[in-house]
Amino acid sequence: MIIFDNVIKKFPLGNFALNEVSFEINDNEFVFLVGPSGAGKTTILKLILREFIPTAGIIKIDDWEISSKNFKKILSLRRKIGVVFQDFKILNDKTVFENIALSLKVIGLLPSNKIKEEVKKALELVNLPDKEKVFPLQLSAGELQRVAIARAIVGEREILLADEPTGNLDPKTSWEIMKIFKKLEGKRTIIIASHNVDIVNSMQKRVLQLRKGELIKDIKKGKYELS
Amino acid sequence: MKEIISSIRRTPYQSLSAFLALFFTLFLSTLIFMSLSFLYSLLAYIETRPQVTAYFQTNIEENKIFKIREELSNSGKVSSVKYISQKEAFEIYKKLNKDNPLLLEMVSADILPPSLEIYAKRPIFLPEIAEYLKKQPGVDEVQFQKDIVDRLLTLTNILRTTAISFFMFLILMATVVLTTSISFKIALKKEEIELLRLIGASNFYIRKPFLKESFFLGFLAVTTSFVLIISFLFYFQPFLNSYLRGISQLFLLLNNFQLQIWPLSLTFLGITYILSLFFGLTISFIATYFATKKYLKV
Repeated sequence: MIIFDNVIKKFPLGNFALNEVSFEINDNEFVFLVGPSGAGKTTILKLILREFIPTAGIIKIDDWEISSKNFKKILSLRRKIGVVFQDFKILNDKTVFENIALSLKVIGLLPSNKIKEEVKKALELVNLPDKEKVFPLQLSAGELQRVAIARAIVGEREILLADEPTGNLDPKTSWEIMKIFKKLEGKRTIIIASHNVDIVNSMQKRVLQLRKGELIKDIKKGKYELS
Repeated sequence: MKEIISSIRRTPYQSLSAFLALFFTLFLSTLIFMSLSFLYSLLAYIETRPQVTAYFQTNIEENKIFKIREELSNSGKVSSVKYISQKEAFEIYKKLNKDNPLLLEMVSADILPPSLEIYAKRPIFLPEIAEYLKKQPGVDEVQFQKDIVDRLLTLTNILRTTAISFFMFLILMATVVLTTSISFKIALKKEEIELLRLIGASNFYIRKPFLKESFFLGFLAVTTSFVLIISFLFYFQPFLNSYLRGISQLFLLLNNFQLQIWPLSLTFLGITYILSLFFGLTISFIATYFATKKYLKV
């Protein structure tokens, strides 16, 4: 479970990225974070990933408060979370296989044959079964996004965060990407930050709508209303 | 191994500067270590030699030498006195120069002086014994080993002090160069390191590739410098052999274990290599640790 309790995030220049935001997300829930650019969607994702800590308020993930400086707990948290970054963060000097396997290798619990098996499963799920040995520069934007998703979902991490996963993609590719997330529904907690109105509205999932760092709406099976 | 080679190829000049810094440091430190070992073993050898040696004129009667020997033994200041006759001196000479028949042809027992080799009970008696011998008739030369020992000790101490200061400077230089080189490589991999942190990689996992590369460079530097030194030693061995003529073996005594320094033994070479390797890898580890520390804050 993810709990945000009156969370404030203020950056050094004085701007409030989040202002007294409170919500709870249950395990295996599917949630959209919506809002215009600068609303605070990415900030929420980064707080969950413990890239930084809140200025005020409490954030708890599975009863552990993330402001703690316990390095082992932070590591353990990040190993539970798969992230699809807005800029993909795919490493160009590694093959598709190596990029995805990285997610399993850092944990270091699986032997190489098991890693191979898991990577193949992930590639099947994202419809890239024959792209193992290809380098990222040889892929299209949609394929890169699928590799990023594969890396985030491999190894069955409990929480999946996606920051604008359809940001630079055409509508057809965007829907293909969302179908992948739909396949994972109910198997892990999924939180997607998006400003794609059509996709959010047609998915009929819980919507947390943000504006200027404040949570203005929290609706189950909600819609993203621009006004 | 493939990753290490690939990383070196990506930043060849940085890797080369790191390798050269390590190489020079380890080359000089190994050379200093071997020189000091040699000097200390030479010192130990000289300390086993007679402390005072009196050489007599070749025409002196043996009775006179025996009288001096008796006086010394009765003085209470001497632990042992050994008489070497001309014949015995010639036998010793033949043994030392058995590989040089030309030298043997030119020398006979008659021209070699008889001598007395004296060991004092305490070092403070040595000057007195030497003075006494110089005043005796028929004494041609008195060799006071203490002079040689003192000179060698002074040389060894100077070398050790200079070496330590030079050593510290070299270690610092090698560490700084290696740290800078690794920092540059880390800067190139900044994105990857950032990603690794965010997907839950431990500090050790992030450090591992840089550690592997600097250990590899350290190993290469140690081995190259060691091979070069051994090559020099074997090349100059005939010169060293003639310089050390008369000394069959040199040892270092370490806690009841005798380590042969000369002629070169595999054990000594092995120990030198292992110590250099340990030292080289330690520098590599410290440099990598400091270079990566900045990037591993959570």
